[in-house]
Amino acid sequence: MPPAPPPLPPPVRFTFDGLYTSALPEETLLQALSRRRVPVLTRSIKYHRPRGPLCGTGQCAGCLVRVNGVPNVRACRTHPKEGDRVHTENAWPSVRLDLFGALDRLFPRHMDTMHGFRRPLFLRPLYHRVVRRLAGTGRLPDPSLEMGGASLSVSAGEASEAPSPGPAVTCDVLVVGGGASGARAARQLVEAPRSPAVVVLERSEDSPLDAGPLPPNLRLDLRTSLSFLPPPVPGTRGFVGLASREDGGALEVRARSVLLTTGAYDAFLLFAGNDRPGVLTGDGALALRRAGGAPSFRRAVLFGAGARARSLLASMPGSFGAIVAPGPLEPATADLADKEGVKAYPDHLLLSARGSRNVRSVLLRDRRSGSRTSLRADGVVLAHRRVPHVPLYFQAGARMTWRGATGAYYPELDERGRTSVEGLFAAGEGAGFVGEAASNASVDRAVRGILGPSEPGATGASALPGRVEDSANELLPYYRELLRQPWLGKRVVCPCEDVVADELDEAVHEGFTGTEVIKRYTGAGTGICQGRYCLPDVVLLLSILEGRPPSQVGFITQRPPAWPVPLADLARLPTDPRLAPAVTGKPSPSPSTGASQGAPAAAGAGGSPASSG
Amino acid sequence: MSPGPLRKDYDLVIVGAGVLGLFTAHHLAQKMDPRRILVVDRGFLSYGASGRNGGGVRQQWETLPTVRLAKESVAAYRRFPVEFGFNPWFRQGGYLFLAFSTQEEEALRRVHATVRQEGLPIEWLSVPEVLQEVPALDPERLVGGSCLRSDGVIFPFPVLWGLYRSLRRAGVEVLTRTEVVGIDRAGGRVSGVRTSAGAVQVRSVVNAAGGWSRDISALAGLSTVNAPTRHEIMATEPLKAFLGPMIVTLRKGLYFSQSMRGEVIGGINLPHPKGGAGSMPSSLEFLREYARELTTLVPRLSSVRVLRSWAGFYDDTPDGLPIIGEDPRLHGFVHANGFGGHGFMLAPAAGPRVARTVLGERTDLDPALFSPSRFLTEGGPRTVEGIQLG
Repeated sequence: MPPAPPPLPPPVRFTFDGLYTSALPEETLLQALSRRRVPVLTRSIKYHRPRGPLCGTGQCAGCLVRVNGVPNVRACRTHPKEGDRVHTENAWPSVRLDLFGALDRLFPRHMDTMHGFRRPLFLRPLYHRVVRRLAGTGRLPDPSLEMGGASLSVSAGEASEAPSPGPAVTCDVLVVGGGASGARAARQLVEAPRSPAVVVLERSEDSPLDAGPLPPNLRLDLRTSLSFLPPPVPGTRGFVGLASREDGGALEVRARSVLLTTGAYDAFLLFAGNDRPGVLTGDGALALRRAGGAPSFRRAVLFGAGARARSLLASMPGSFGAIVAPGPLEPATADLADKEGVKAYPDHLLLSARGSRNVRSVLLRDRRSGSRTSLRADGVVLAHRRVPHVPLYFQAGARMTWRGATGAYYPELDERGRTSVEGLFAAGEGAGFVGEAASNASVDRAVRGILGPSEPGATGASALPGRVEDSANELLPYYRELLRQPWLGKRVVCPCEDVVADELDEAVHEGFTGTEVIKRYTGAGTGICQGRYCLPDVVLLLSILEGRPPSQVGFITQRPPAWPVPLADLARLPTDPRLAPAVTGKPSPSPSTGASQGAPAAAGAGGSPASSG
Repeated sequence: MSPGPLRKDYDLVIVGAGVLGLFTAHHLAQKMDPRRILVVDRGFLSYGASGRNGGGVRQQWETLPTVRLAKESVAAYRRFPVEFGFNPWFRQGGYLFLAFSTQEEEALRRVHATVRQEGLPIEWLSVPEVLQEVPALDPERLVGGSCLRSDGVIFPFPVLWGLYRSLRRAGVEVLTRTEVVGIDRAGGRVSGVRTSAGAVQVRSVVNAAGGWSRDISALAGLSTVNAPTRHEIMATEPLKAFLGPMIVTLRKGLYFSQSMRGEVIGGINLPHPKGGAGSMPSSLEFLREYARELTTLVPRLSSVRVLRSWAGFYDDTPDGLPIIGEDPRLHGFVHANGFGGHGFMLAPAAGPRVARTVLGERTDLDPALFSPSRFLTEGGPRTVEGIQLG
């Protein structure tokens, strides 16, 4: 949580669709544009439905804008600079009134590009021209608007101030994810007798590690994500991965061991109008909050029953008017809601979110009595299900197991935090450990595993305390019931590619089954979020439609990069990464040089580009 | 896991439910009892190169018979939406081969005479004409380009869906996730196929297994010259339409086009490790080399983000031409492989010819160019296809 601002430095002035506006220095573009309500920032790719931020964590396509001629910049990950020119994309004449929005009404169920637009033959070139005109989000980057050649690859970040990154870094242990678990692991690792060189990559702009000075054998890279973690090169020990920086620049990372503490995120939910501006995941709602500003919502509907819903109730007081849950509320949640004056609707289906653009009301259905309730609401916040970031596990080739409680895949782990891949460890919420105590214990086990003698990877999954259970998934019966309800509007499964639930149904009825085939049939999972927001639901829906357990409908291959990377950053990678000598089992480098090899001297706490002062 | 074959014996088994296997089955189903045909594939539908290619369909080739096949394929893909009920959005935006030296220009101009023999309006574009076609290109050292506007790009998946649905309606059995583990022979003839889901008796086998076809031939005791080569492709975030033709450069083997969805999809020739068709991993090397070459040629793409990359197998032959025909060493074993990354663009024309071969009918294919025996005779093949990129 950002601290209350001291006497403010002057605001940053920039234009948004030609109008001057301003941001506080530490604000993201998204926060600056969310003054009074959740903004309509773009239009969806197929139907030009109004869209706003969904995830707030740089994953979804809901806040893509054009900044200084660069298309598809995520407003939630960008700090505006003085004089920036920010434009909305994919709408004409404006995002609030987009004439192409007529497509949404013209095709109320869905536009069938798979079977449609085939006849008559003489119209085909016209169909092609129209569809090409409509496809895509941003326009090709416009060099005349960009800030000179150096920032060609830069997503309107702060690269001009940030030091140019070293092309490669070598370390003993790479910790991916500098949240609570990653920070705990890093602190323990650097204290070890052999002083291993540790590099921590953190995608967001803050980490608990960032609070004080760092020991010399620890390096922290903020706003940096690991995008590609291939399996270890056969015959060598160690990993060669690709990291990318939010502000431009890719980095090759070599490490003997990798610890994934990549965490989890709030999942999406299926209901009619679930893509409307104002529907946000819990992460997204938290990202909208402005330092010392008014709450983003006054009477939002919170969807969830457990610890995550409680934490949102506690951290966003005055924002919620109702809490809705698929089943009963946990007693502590019910108590907190009661105390906050938030009306509880347990055992309800969330049928639809309605409004002309933003959410104005939601429609609920009592699962026991069948009666419907309409509530005035200015938002919907999803806090019912947290699913792990899995791409890196799959890329590295770790064996994964399905866990029903969350409806997600997790790495097989042994009692020393080892995955099935030698040298690859996992801990924290993203590895399936629920709650602080279990999470911390998993970190401590993994640290012992990393520092212990090297042995082949885990041979089998162990039952570890505090891990997500493979119990029945409560959303399966929920969705089964929801799919039986009368149609109330598009239920968007994949917001990036505008895929609706009906398309999945149709594909299965045509005889096309399994997540891999459905991905290619519908396009779900091929969009800008790389499937993070559709896949968790696609697996459950296919399980219902195909009549087999979710663990049998399969998952899609997690293709690199795990996060979108600009071509220019890839072009600057060092030559022949696989041919250069790999990191081998040498004794640890000395603490003074190990962690910062190939990196600017200021790396470490000073490498944080978060402050612009 | 699939339930296994319905019957104990079939007339033939087609190994590989890729685009060529399915087109072959489609043509056979019109000439024989469809229930006597079994198609098996080790993966899901679209698992192999048919679901991993860039969708390019071109008619610019050095060998005339290939130009003919390609021309027929273009016509078939134009008809496809009406014939099969699925729309693969075949967009004839042209193929533009770029030359950066006079040698490259000569190589491309050599193709013109051959292509014109088939009556196709192939053009040579000067540098200003190339730039008019694709304004975003950096023209440094560019000499010109060869363009055939009826070439194009297709969305591969609907082709597979359409064929699959049509076969199922006709009564052809298609078993996915079923691996061929053995091929039995008796008296110089194919007699049976053992799969991971059970064994069947057959009289013929069509080996349309793409990158796995060498392994399938080996199961029948046949050594072949084709070999799988791993190639990679990547797709960027979707952009508004800015690129009409598929662009191919001879100097680095770069190719890219813009899909109907707006993504820039392409690949590049790398010194790929040859090897068995096992895993299909992506590599950092590919990401770097492709990004370097693409951003050099189209600098405005520099800040565009890559969404995903994937790999697949070309089934390469020494002469760059496919292998179509019965193996002279084993009766009933028909090759339909070795397409070297061009299977999708030639399958609609190759499929009916493979079907005729299976039925023992004559085809118009020149044995010197396409038959498996060309590698078994002394001296090997005499003709080599020069335009193997893109």
